[in-house]
Amino acid sequence: MSDIIRREEFGDVVILHILTTSVDAISAAAIAAECREMRPITVLDFSEVSFINSAGISALLKFVVSARKAGYQLFAMNVTPHHQKIFKMVEMSRYMPTIEERDLAAYR
Amino acid sequence: MQRVELRIPSIPIFERVVRASAAEVGSAAGFSPEQVEDLKLAVSEAVNNAIDHGNRGDTAKLVGVTFDIDGEKIEIRISDQGEGIERINVARRVIDDETLEAGYLRGFGMYLISALVDDYEIESSQQGTVLTLRLYRKEPQQ
Repeated sequence: MSDIIRREEFGDVVILHILTTSVDAISAAAIAAECREMRPITVLDFSEVSFINSAGISALLKFVVSARKAGYQLFAMNVTPHHQKIFKMVEMSRYMPTIEERDLAAYR
Repeated sequence: MQRVELRIPSIPIFERVVRASAAEVGSAAGFSPEQVEDLKLAVSEAVNNAIDHGNRGDTAKLVGVTFDIDGEKIEIRISDQGEGIERINVARRVIDDETLEAGYLRGFGMYLISALVDDYEIESSQQGTVLTLRLYRKEPQQ
């Protein structure tokens, strides 16, 4: 079990709770490794994340690539306003839109 | 003017030390939380560039970071001990279908720096590269 990501699965959904505060060059490889086990609806939970840089964005893009190949949906949850701004700047929001926790209730 | 100086080895974990210092310096200088976040990210990208592209990961080479604070701005100089960089691409870099298909998942750093700071300068020679970033204090928006 990763100490960087905690998995929560129900039905076709997996929520990947990112446990590190920094999505950066140090944590990127461990985070990106989780893209090997995605589900048809994969949600990255950023509630613990206080910092994301371009090395982190590169790691997150591996989820985007995997989701596109598999025809899966990828969402982000609990993204800070600052990180929403950064995601818009690089147009990550197009490929990993945000979702509210309440919207997942129907899948539980 | 007040000055804070750091020198770190070219090892990625020490970028976090500079980033934490940037946050403290920005807060101490009275910058808004949003500007502090912009400062942290710009400095992080610049330091990672200095480690990866300037010093090419040579752990014997240092990255120098100087924060100069005055009444209106913070000026940050990030210097490496590399052999200079011929071309630095600051063009807008966004994610699109073409780059995803090509597996090109990197290259956002200089674009983010250029978009997050108020102005910047790059000087590169065979003695190394110096990136100077400036952020001006802004009143928080109501």
